[in-house]
Amino acid sequence: MERLASTLTDSEREIVVSRLIDGPQELVFEAFTNPAHLSNWYGPNGFTITTHAFELRPGGVWDFIMHGPDGTDYPNWIVFLEIAPPERIAYRHSETPDDPEPFTSTVTIAARGDRTEVTLRSVFETREQRDKVVQCGAVEGGEQTLGRLAEFAAVRSGDATGQEQA
Amino acid sequence: MARAATTSDAFNAIAEPNRRAILTLLRGNERPVGDVALSLGLNQPAASKHLKVLREVGLVYARRAGKQRLYSLDARGLEPVHAWTGVFEEFWTESFDRLDKYVRELRRGEQSDGETG
Repeated sequence: MERLASTLTDSEREIVVSRLIDGPQELVFEAFTNPAHLSNWYGPNGFTITTHAFELRPGGVWDFIMHGPDGTDYPNWIVFLEIAPPERIAYRHSETPDDPEPFTSTVTIAARGDRTEVTLRSVFETREQRDKVVQCGAVEGGEQTLGRLAEFAAVRSGDATGQEQA
Repeated sequence: MARAATTSDAFNAIAEPNRRAILTLLRGNERPVGDVALSLGLNQPAASKHLKVLREVGLVYARRAGKQRLYSLDARGLEPVHAWTGVFEEFWTESFDRLDKYVRELRRGEQSDGETG
């Protein structure tokens, strides 16, 4: 299993994660923008997706439920902000249309020879919002917040936690 | 739950850029405070203060060697950080694993379509 490259960026409202995918850029873009494809890979092992609406245009909505392996349902409400084939997708992600704390993610899809580098950058409204999420994750073991945290990438704090003690 | 004093947990400790830089620096080898200060362009009291915070939350370990103290990374302090990052990391590690596998399957499908068509 390939390791995620992740960093806590200088901006304390952001989390960034990236990964090389073994396939061409157009195909990876397609996998990110077609609900039939998304249901085949989006989410951790054991999760499934039910899509209620999917409209790929700026202002369009992807309304879907993530079903956890323990039977818990996590509502998701994504509003697309930018669709730039085959290299970029930006969207606002929340639980519901009136969720007071949505966050913005930008997926950058870049050709790297035969492979494709996917970089996901999530930006929170405030550092407090991110920190709150951080604390929830620590306190609740992340289970209850998994749905709304779905798009947040890992902070192994890159520099701080990216290694094991020898 | 009330928030603990500002520097008393690993999350707060690594929220400060200089302290993250110190952890990066201490990855490979242990160093005295003077080295840390020099490498980061800090004065020695500032470096000492950061190291003290990192020690208090269990991110850095100090041992005496002759006249000086040598500081090294103490990974145990990172456990609470891993505990919550695990959620995010797991989500995207597993999603990207699935995406990678799925894209390979799509490519195989395209190839076999090409062969039969």
